[in-house]
Amino acid sequence: MKHLFKPEVVKGLWSLLILLLVIKMAWFAVEVLWLPTIGVEHSEDKGAKALYYRVKLSPNEAAPPATTKKPVQIAGSIKDIKLLAIYNASDVTVVTVEYKRKTKVLAKGEEINGFVLEGAGSNYATFSKNAKTYQVNLLISTKGKESIKSAQPSTASASSENKVEGEVIDAGDHKIVDRSLLDHYAKNMDDIYKNIGIKEIKKGKDLEGFSISFIRRGSPFAKLGIQRGDVIKAINGQKIDSYNAAFDVYKNISNIDNLTLVIQRGKEEMELEYEVN
Amino acid sequence: MQMVKKSGIALIVAWFAILVLMPKQEFYYKLEESLAKHEIELNEEKIDEGFFSLGLHQVTVYFKGIPVATIEEMDLSTLLFYSSLELEGLHVDDSLKRMVPQETQKALLSHTIFSPLTVSVDAEGSFGGMTGVIDLHARKVHLDFNESKNIEMLKPQLKKGEKGWVYETSF
Repeated sequence: MKHLFKPEVVKGLWSLLILLLVIKMAWFAVEVLWLPTIGVEHSEDKGAKALYYRVKLSPNEAAPPATTKKPVQIAGSIKDIKLLAIYNASDVTVVTVEYKRKTKVLAKGEEINGFVLEGAGSNYATFSKNAKTYQVNLLISTKGKESIKSAQPSTASASSENKVEGEVIDAGDHKIVDRSLLDHYAKNMDDIYKNIGIKEIKKGKDLEGFSISFIRRGSPFAKLGIQRGDVIKAINGQKIDSYNAAFDVYKNISNIDNLTLVIQRGKEEMELEYEVN
Repeated sequence: MQMVKKSGIALIVAWFAILVLMPKQEFYYKLEESLAKHEIELNEEKIDEGFFSLGLHQVTVYFKGIPVATIEEMDLSTLLFYSSLELEGLHVDDSLKRMVPQETQKALLSHTIFSPLTVSVDAEGSFGGMTGVIDLHARKVHLDFNESKNIEMLKPQLKKGEKGWVYETSF
């Protein structure tokens, strides 16, 4: 009997088919054991936007938020700490300080002379002691040729040139925020973080909101009447419980005429109203 | 000689089969899962699985839930000895244009087994041209902005090098 194909060709083809089958089975095993079958879907925030905006026709008779300005006491010893350098990355903050003529490198959470390093901006570091926050500015030597600079020296210098125009004026029942101030912060996000620290509030892995971790004394943010520890619940009717919601507010901040902040201070929830002029 | 020829054919068929039969889409989902751990999410309108590559169209990049950039086309491909990620039409959100260049026409990240611990980067966009290397061993990124233009917003993070502006960071 004559074969249609040469036996060795058929054998070779079978071998290749078996090889393909083995590879397919191997990939199948990988797929079943280690690989997900569906991708990560981004879920848009739902219900973040308010269904209505409150229009106030009568003057606000509510008392302005109690902004008991506690003078931040500068303990004598904080003056002994000199900030020499800052390394500030997204996940790590390290500063070099001089204390009693000795230099020491501190990571976030470490302490020196009882002052715990809380964070750092481009040209300053914040320390806390006895529930009080202290800010130490980066030391720039004026004596001579050498100057001590931060890890991002030009950021500091570039931003420091951006002078903030505009004021927050207390009009009794409400406060008036200069529009140029909002425009400035809308264009210079860096300047926001120099003046105010925002901390995530998480429940397990889920983000629940944001609280204020520090406010720079004398900054426009301090004049808004908000305090360290306040939880930001809503801005202009929009619940602030995600980065997206917060960023939405930031993107549209130049176009608003009124600003309403709902904050939680301790167990009390309060509403702060501002007119943008 | 016959044995060498047979082994060669088997190797080529195996290499071809590994690439063609690879569950590329599922590998991409795995990548999405890893990125999600760092709060980076990719949302694509369409996925095209090719013989050697995976094409993604109209990708929106979210960071911490914020849409930070869109990418018109994204192509992930591998030949085992050479892998690449090609991006076309990367547009950064308007709100970030003061921090990073807004338009990147093309970007290519490539890896070859001849230099297993480095990833090459090439890009061109509104910032001019950029080439660089990601050193996986030293965990460092070095980017050279060769024909730098419109990079004022990046300059605070750049150093002036011999050939132009240089960006260096570690991870």
